[in-house]
Parts: sequence; C-alpha cells; structure tokens
Amino acid sequence: MSPRSKTAGSATALGPGIGEVVERFELEKAWLVDPVSGREGPGEIVITGGVLESVVWLEGEEAKGVSDRGVIVAPGFLDLHAHFREPGFEDAETVATGTAAAAHGGYTTVALMPNTSPALDEPGVLERIRSAARASGSPVEVLAYGAVSADRAGEQLSAMGELADAGVVGYSDDGAPVRTPTLLRSALLYAGMLGLPVVDHAEDLELTAGAEANEGYVASIMGLAGWPAAAEVNAVSRDLAVLADALIDEPRVRLHLTHLSTAASLDLVRRAKDAGLPVTCDVTPHHLALADEWIAGARRWSWEALGPDGSSRDPWADGALTAPPYNTSLRVNPPLRTPVDAAACLAALLDGTASAVVTDHAPHTVVDKEVEFGRASSGISGIETALGVLLALVDAKRMPLARAVAALTTGPAATLAGWPAPAATPAARKRGLVEGAPADLVVFDRADRWTVTEDSLRSKGKNSPLIGRELSGRVLLTIAGGRLAYEDPGAGDE
Amino acid sequence: MSVEAEAAAVGRTAGHARTQEVVWHHRHLLDVDVVTWPEIELIMRTTDEMKGVLARPIRKVPALNGRRVTTLFYEASTRTRVSFETAARNLSADVVSVSTATSSVTKGESLVDTIRTLEALGAEILVMRHSVSGAPHLAAEIFGGHVLNGGDGWHAHPTQALLDLYTMRQHLPDGDLRGRKVAIVGDILHSRVARSNIWSLTAAGADLWLCGPATLLRGMDRWATAWDGGAIPGHGRFHVTSDVDAAVRDADVVMALRIQRERMQGGLLPSLREYAARFGLNAERVSLAKPEAIVMHPGPMNEGVEIAPDVAISGRAVITEQVANGVAVRMALLYLLAGAHEAAVGHEAAR
Repeated sequence: MSPRSKTAGSATALGPGIGEVVERFELEKAWLVDPVSGREGPGEIVITGGVLESVVWLEGEEAKGVSDRGVIVAPGFLDLHAHFREPGFEDAETVATGTAAAAHGGYTTVALMPNTSPALDEPGVLERIRSAARASGSPVEVLAYGAVSADRAGEQLSAMGELADAGVVGYSDDGAPVRTPTLLRSALLYAGMLGLPVVDHAEDLELTAGAEANEGYVASIMGLAGWPAAAEVNAVSRDLAVLADALIDEPRVRLHLTHLSTAASLDLVRRAKDAGLPVTCDVTPHHLALADEWIAGARRWSWEALGPDGSSRDPWADGALTAPPYNTSLRVNPPLRTPVDAAACLAALLDGTASAVVTDHAPHTVVDKEVEFGRASSGISGIETALGVLLALVDAKRMPLARAVAALTTGPAATLAGWPAPAATPAARKRGLVEGAPADLVVFDRADRWTVTEDSLRSKGKNSPLIGRELSGRVLLTIAGGRLAYEDPGAGDE
Repeated sequence: MSVEAEAAAVGRTAGHARTQEVVWHHRHLLDVDVVTWPEIELIMRTTDEMKGVLARPIRKVPALNGRRVTTLFYEASTRTRVSFETAARNLSADVVSVSTATSSVTKGESLVDTIRTLEALGAEILVMRHSVSGAPHLAAEIFGGHVLNGGDGWHAHPTQALLDLYTMRQHLPDGDLRGRKVAIVGDILHSRVARSNIWSLTAAGADLWLCGPATLLRGMDRWATAWDGGAIPGHGRFHVTSDVDAAVRDADVVMALRIQRERMQGGLLPSLREYAARFGLNAERVSLAKPEAIVMHPGPMNEGVEIAPDVAISGRAVITEQVANGVAVRMALLYLLAGAHEAAVGHEAAR
C-alpha cells in the first residue's frame, strides 16, 4: 500500500525533468481536496499534456480503502510572503534554490518580498528576478512585491507606477514597517489608484530597539530584552487609522498586514474588518505552532503548551525543556509569542480574520545564524515545512484538513484577488482541481513521515527550528502550470 | 570535626537531603538553574576545603597542575577576571587570558571562530564573560572542553550567586537560609546577578524580596506570580516590590545592585540623586533590617547612589568577604568541572 504503488507506472509516465511538461500522469484512489468546490473525498486524476484532463470522484465500492490519512491531492500552494534573497544575498538563497525549496514544500506560486540588494524599487530589479526564475527552469510561478519607498529607506515613494506596469502584486517595505504614517498614507493612496495593496510589516521600531524575544515570562527568566506585543499593536493601530483616512479619498485603497503574531493585534483587525475597512492579514506556520518557550528549550507544539483554562503552561514547571536554549533559528521578526497568542493566530485563521498562511520563508547563512542569540539575523527557513506544520494542527484535531489546504490555496488566492489590479494574473485564479486547466497541484502522503534535516531541505537556508523533527505529509509530487516542479526522489525507484 | 563532616552536619541540620554521595557530573556551569540543591551543597563543601587552602601560608595546591584554563572576557571586568585567574593559579593551572580589546575580536572574528581557535591552542576550561545573554550556551555547544560562565548579558552570573550564597551561609546560624529574609535592591531588570540569585536563593528556601523602581522591575512580578504556587520543583516563591522599606524590614541579608548611568539616558530613572534618595541603602534604611543583618554588594559600587559610603564600610558590610569567598568558590568550581566525569558530557552539553 505504498503511495508509489498506487501511482504505479507514474514514474515512467512522468518521465520529464524539472520544468518539462507532464505528458501523462494518472493517480488512482487518492484523497482529493478541492477547496474551491469545498469537496473532498476519494478520487482519481489524469493529466495529459500538462492539462488536468479528468477529475473523477469515487463512490461506493470504488472508494473503499481510501482515506484522508493517506495520499492526498490538493491544488498547488500559494505563498504570499517569501524571501529568495536574489539579487544581493545569493549566499543565503537564490531564485533557483528558492523555487526548488518551494516546490518541495508543495508550492507552485510564490510572492517575493523586495528587500533585496538593490531593493526591488524599480522594474529593472524585477526583470533580474524574472530572468533568474526563467534560467532556473523551475515552473514555480514567481511573483514579487515592489518596495514602498525608494531603497526601502522610508523617505520617498519607489517607482510605484512603473512597478505596477511591470507586474508587481503589491508594495511592501517588509523587514521593516513603512516608516512614517505620512508615507503610509501616500503609499496607500498611490497604490490604491493603481489597484494594488500596501503590505505592511507592523512593528513600532521605537519599542523594539534592542529587543530579543517576546516580552514575558520566558524572556524575563532568560535575561532577553523584551519585544513587547505593544510594538505590533501600536503599529497595527497606526496603519488602520491611516487606512480609514485614506479610504475617504480613494475607495480602492487596500492594506494587508503580514505575519501578525499577537492576540491583541489580530483583534484590532477583526474589528476593523467588521467595520468595513479594506484590510486583510495573514499568519505564519511558526506563529501558529511554535511559542517563545522554544527559546528556553521546549519542543512541544503551541497547543500542547496551553493549560486547561487556555492560559500558557510553564515549561520550567512542566519539565518541558528538552533542547539547548538560545537556538538562533528561533530568532524571528516578529518574535515567537506565547502559546495564548499562537492560539489567537489559529482562531483568527479559523474565523476568517486572517485569510492566509504565509511562510515568511527567510533563509540565512550559517555566518548570520551561528552567533550570539541577540546578534543573529531574524528569520526562519520555512517554505518546506509549512505543510507539515499545518498537518500537525490537523493531526491534533485543531483544524480540519480542508481548512489547512484552503489556508495554503484559496485563502491567499482570494486575498490576491481582492486586490483590484492583479485579478487577471494567473496566480489569482481560483486554486481548485479544475478539469481542462493546466495541472497545478501537489500530491503528498499524510501517512509518510519525514525528518527535517539540513540535507532534506532544498533551501540554502538551514535555519529551521524543526531540524531533527519528524513531520507528516511527505510531498511526492508538485506540478506547476502543467510542468514538473518537484518529484520525490524515491518515486522513481519502483 | 573535619571540613567534610562539618559540612555534612550543616546539611543535616538544614534538613536537606543527605548529600555526601553526590557526584559532580556537569560538564559546564552556565547557570545555577540546572544545579540541584545537593549539588549546590557539594559546591559549598568544596568551597570550605578551598578556604582551607587559602588559609595556608602557601596558597597553592597541585589539583589542576598542567590543566589549561582560558579566560575570555568580552566585557570589562576587574574583580571577576582576577578572581577566576587567581583561583586557577591557586590550583596550579596554566592560565591564558584573552581580552577582546587586544584580540582578533576587534578584527571582526566571530565568537565561534574565537572559541575554535582557543580550543586549537589547547584551552580545556573556558571562563567566559559576554554582554549577550546565552553566549556561553553557544560556546558550550561548540567547545570540546568545559565552559564556566563568568556572566552573560542580563541572564546569569552563577559564580556570583554561589559566592553570595556561601557568604550568607557563613553569617547565618547553622548556615541555613530557610525562612531567612534576603532583600535585593536595585536594577533587577538588567541584572544577571539577580537572576542567578533567584534560582539559588529560592532553592535554599530563603524568603527572597526583589526591590527597585517599577521601571527596573519589568516582567519580574509576572515571574514571581508564576512561581507563587510552588510551580518549580525545588524552588520556593519570591516577592517583588517597589517599597524599599517593606523589602528591607526585618531582613537578614540586604544586597544592593549597581545602578548604571545609562539607565537615565534610557528614560528609566529621573536621576541618580532621586534613586539614592528613594532606593539607596543608607544607614537609616538599613536600620530597618535585623540588628545582625549583613549588607552585600556584588561590585563595583557606586557609593552614594545605591549604597551610602558609611554603610559600605560599616561592620555589617561583608563586601570584601564576598570578594575573598569568590576566589574559593571559583577554585571549587574549576576543581569540580575539571574532574567532571566525561561520560556525563552528552546530555549536559545541551544545558
């Protein structure tokens, strides 16, 4: 009953190398998840000439023995927030290694942040990234944000109109917030005029100067400078106030708040959405599943660190500290918060306050991470582990499988589609299992657990706090736009 | 009575478990949080023996003859560095002293590279002081020998906490801290001394009070509340207050912590003058403590700020005793670490 036996002949049928059209592929008796139709169940798919020729839902006798705990087919994932470091930091990641990592994670579309060097603040840089994507041979679709400000310096607007013409999907100074409320107001209005959103990294830099870890019990004991929740809440408040103002002048303004991490800031967004403000937000796998206690050496999932009354448990009292403390792969911006905040991220995802899970894939070199905790670069290499982390939530019955798939597919697609301009781009198409469309899907085996190791990660960034951990849901196959993006190396053995 | 028997007797009267069978198995000493009470008593007994060595006309024993101790200090320090180096020489170790001001660190060499270099040059025991919390934990992961934390960031200063504990025990009947009120007054937020003392003094059963202005106590109340129900095995509760009179009243031990000038630039204090008036340990305030109470300070002191000059030189002050005990405690720890059973290394490397 190995997954490969179910795809018997598929390896030879696949034949092509990365980037080549999948001429013929059949998968019998898998569990199909189609978040567009909302349907999931036993089924079969056939791909011919790169096109998803047929999707057959099985019933009765034919469906026997197929469960949602085995081989699963879902639409290809869409990451609204990743860093591939090119140009400028190619020792940390390149477009080629980044797309390979994305495909290994089940992603077929990624939107890259513009904090490259030079920053993506004019179309020339975008062309370099696209050229690198073409040269990589990967069929993973690479989208990009332009910078809000020239050189991300927070002074003047970037070449926003030219960037829109060149096809950016939005604007962000990610890595840092849009520096001033005045600049944010201008950016929202100008971007709104162009039908694009501003994606803000919400952080009050004045409150986080020198900060090392979420301000609270763990940071207090560990002697780490506190990174207060107020820094995010304050920035979100500012952004929402400016958005409300800008909306009066330009109905097409859109604000997207990325990687929100605190219960209080998510609650602000919830209320703003209720009040009709054009705001969306996302959360990351690490803020859903990890907590600040990991820095002290805990390695339990965030939901395992909640007490019966919903408060955070004490890892010292629980004897839960099993790993070395101060692991720099846990240094991330915004910081890992409390288990209560992680639960709030999940609640926001489930009630629609957050419309997507994004990886904030942030690869770093050993040189930037094998240093003192407070001096390490912020970021987690996470595009290859997002699926496994969400499946851990599903395994723990915190979230239905279909919701996890939606958070990686229709959730981010709807977010993109809600931004007026890029609705026409292929990325914003509804990510369903649509017959007659180019095949864009991932096949993974929920029962097949794999261990995260430096070797198993395709990304150059080995800065994952999940190194050494087993995750469920090994990705067997990723097909992007009808072309092969990733195939499990074991698949051709049979 | 021999030193060992005496120490064992102290352990018994203190009501703690018999400790004679305890064997030191920690490869590193990064903080006191992972050291059990019987292990702390072993350190105290070993310190007693080292005090005996220091009382001899020739203060030198061959215990660490030929062993190589390297001190690597990324922060300015006089007493801690000299104390460690004196301790190592008293044990006949070869001492190499690396100061970052005159090393390749000024050329941008990373901590990891520096430690690998020192190991290649033969360092066996690395005594380290660093301004970033957790830096010795990184060192412990890559260094093949033993790491002894000489203070990291705001996090830990285990040898200071142990010499403080030793000094307190010397001055308390039967060396027993249980129920004894210890008040630590000063900049708790930024203090590695306070953090390590929280672990060791709550393990000793002391009635610990942390006191300072609210701006320098941030997060501490939450910590104290979490421990209030006896949450951590082997550790008692402690108190946090900005009421200095309440903290000092009827105390057996009063400890002042250094107040740094940078705290005013950071907007945490109006002025050193105001701090001295409201929180400084002056004679009047200290008179609230028990008549036999001792006054401590980890140094270096700002006389006239956190401690009045007359208090610092009064008969209650044991500040120079702390310095002297520091050498004995560090001798004990170097001795125990050097003899730590190598088989215990795998697990301990983590902590």
